[in-house]
Amino acid sequence: MTHSLNEIEAMSKRAARGAGLPWGLAEEAAKGTRWLSAFSFPGIEMLEGLLTLNDRLPAVDFSPATLNGSWSAPAGRMSPLIAGAAMSDCAVRMEAGQVIEMENVSFPLLVVPFAAGAALRLCVPVSVSWEGARLTTDGQRLCVQGEREAIQARHAAQLSCAAPAEMTGQSEPVMRAEVDETAWAKLGEFAHRTYAPATESSRLLGAGAGLNDND
Amino acid sequence: MTEVSCRDPNLVMRLARLGSIHQSRLSFMRILTRRMAREGWRFEQTAFNVDDQGVGHAVYSAHGPERAYSLIAYAHDLPAEKRSDRVIAEAWDATFTLFDGIPTEADIERLSHNIPVQEAGRVNGTELSVSRANRSVRLWEHVVSSLAAGTQPDAEQINAVGYLMRTTAVYGSGKLGAADREMIADRPEFRVPFQVEMLSVYLTRWFVRDLVQHMANARATAQGGSAATLDPELARSMGIGNSTGLGMAPFLLNHPVLFSNWVAARETALQRVRSLATASAEEKAVFAEMFQRGCASVAEWHSEHPVQIEKLAALQADIDLIAAKLEDEGLAEANPWNSLYNWAEQTLTVEGQEWLASLMLEPYGHLVDELEQEMAADNTATFRIAGAMTVARLREVLQEVYGWALDTDWALPANKARAWYVSEEKLEPRLGERFEEPIEEYEQPLAPGRDATQLYQALAHWPAQTPVAEFLLRHPEHRHSVRRAQIANRAPYAEIRDNTISQNVLPIDMLRCKLAFFGATHFDPRSDRWVRICMYGNAPYPEELSSRDGDFWIYPEVQES
Repeated sequence: MTHSLNEIEAMSKRAARGAGLPWGLAEEAAKGTRWLSAFSFPGIEMLEGLLTLNDRLPAVDFSPATLNGSWSAPAGRMSPLIAGAAMSDCAVRMEAGQVIEMENVSFPLLVVPFAAGAALRLCVPVSVSWEGARLTTDGQRLCVQGEREAIQARHAAQLSCAAPAEMTGQSEPVMRAEVDETAWAKLGEFAHRTYAPATESSRLLGAGAGLNDND
Repeated sequence: MTEVSCRDPNLVMRLARLGSIHQSRLSFMRILTRRMAREGWRFEQTAFNVDDQGVGHAVYSAHGPERAYSLIAYAHDLPAEKRSDRVIAEAWDATFTLFDGIPTEADIERLSHNIPVQEAGRVNGTELSVSRANRSVRLWEHVVSSLAAGTQPDAEQINAVGYLMRTTAVYGSGKLGAADREMIADRPEFRVPFQVEMLSVYLTRWFVRDLVQHMANARATAQGGSAATLDPELARSMGIGNSTGLGMAPFLLNHPVLFSNWVAARETALQRVRSLATASAEEKAVFAEMFQRGCASVAEWHSEHPVQIEKLAALQADIDLIAAKLEDEGLAEANPWNSLYNWAEQTLTVEGQEWLASLMLEPYGHLVDELEQEMAADNTATFRIAGAMTVARLREVLQEVYGWALDTDWALPANKARAWYVSEEKLEPRLGERFEEPIEEYEQPLAPGRDATQLYQALAHWPAQTPVAEFLLRHPEHRHSVRRAQIANRAPYAEIRDNTISQNVLPIDMLRCKLAFFGATHFDPRSDRWVRICMYGNAPYPEELSSRDGDFWIYPEVQES
């Protein structure tokens, strides 16, 4: 059974919020997971791994301590969503030729969708590299180099983002996604935390009692 | 030529005005029927396997220039106690999907296990929408029994309701596994937003006419007689109802670029027409005719809701003022539309102003209709935050877009009395009382004004030249609001410039705004948070599209007296 990309985005946003991320980062997580899924990567599984790892822990612990030099996080591992968002926010630095370096990044593949955003902003391809993997995107298409195991690593000791990069052999996005059912169910559990338990009064008042709806 | 600019977002984007918007040339139903009439779409019923109890399926196909689409309808025998328009319902009188192409028997069989259960089912990329409808119990029985007795139903009873069935949800854009919009957005017929949903409802109306006739025939046969055929004029006067609740309200807040494009299209159309130095006799005649027909439509608009009763009375009074002005003075020779609009802004209620604004566009298809191409949105570029923007510039943007919010006292309970949340039950969006229910920890980010004010306060002590990227590194909780502010900075009509959580908020304002862009008429609020409307009332049926007007049908024809 395939899922639509919209379903993936909606589920990811709720799950990320349920795992404690602020709304703005939950939105980034959702767009990123959708983007990876569109290129047939297991975005849902990667997100599930990350949310489980950092479940309800303070975001600031996994954020770059400063945007100068090589980025590292106080907790010793960096969230790819927070670091990726910061990289996208600082995209203009890469335009000036600066390479953005990061240390100890969890689930490094989750950084790549932010490179797509940066590439669209800069109008040049951006590459993201870590041990054994290099992914380059112009925002629309993706060029993948490396073995599956390296690409889907749970941790990268060093990661660098650079522009302009060269696109060789590229893949186009697909419009349907195969989803790992176990990871999907786990995301569903995170998402469930964002729903208010139904009560009889909310059932009536919250949706708006009024005239008979059946006439 | 007068220099007229587009209206100020601070005027347009208030809830009271958005909740008074009317359909126009740029509403999605009319864009669809214009296209199908212009391109000569061909329609056929390819299956109607419904038994005497009203159970079975039917298939209706629409053939465009390059592709065909089919409505697969499943008809059910629904016990009265299960009939509810609420999202939490689990059974319906009829359920539908719009299929991409012509379905095979295997498709119809697969979907027969999924469409009738709606949210409990799964569809895939060949399905473009999933929807359901319930009968209007009072009108359905009247029409079936009249026809079965060999007589026509009563026009007044039909007029009082307006439809035989009302949809209670029309899901598109990837819901329940259906095709994502990206899969079809490059097709010319679906470039404009919501064309899939509008086509689905248009074909649903055809199915409903066939079904009511079928049920009348079955009853007549059982009674040993033969049924009358529903008069085409009466049939045409009926649309498809729709019952819309809170689920639709967050849409406008969650799609700021798209919403801005809709409003900008209508505002640009109004600006173009107001800028005209003169109007030709023919253009004046079209306006005069649509004014008359528009009045007839308002006369058929009923509601029992106190707010709407008041608005309708005000609109009627406004119409009398417009009629008197046109009678006494006619249209001005110079800058006729700008002069009329300026008079309206000084004289009429907001409801009357917006009704007239839409009407003024009618003679100008050649100036207005091309704007439909601007109404879709690709969010990819606007989603990314420009981190190099300085704190000083962000403050300016917040002052421009959220000035009203910065002037609001958010410590006052009345100004944040409500909270939007999602219930566990079928994930239904709801609006609760912040200070009376345990909902605040579940609050959705649907109060942009309050959140922008918090952002503004958090920025107060940051150095002016600091890039926003540095601020967001320390304050990820404001990322959502920074994004919104940057979007609203580029898309002037992106943000509702009003309080969406005050104790006085009327969610029906948001519903009505969206439904008006769909092309709905006869808004009938049933509480402050759900509304009934009519779609395609007076529209030609598919077989009439080539012989009748595919555009001005929205205004009922009036008999010359």
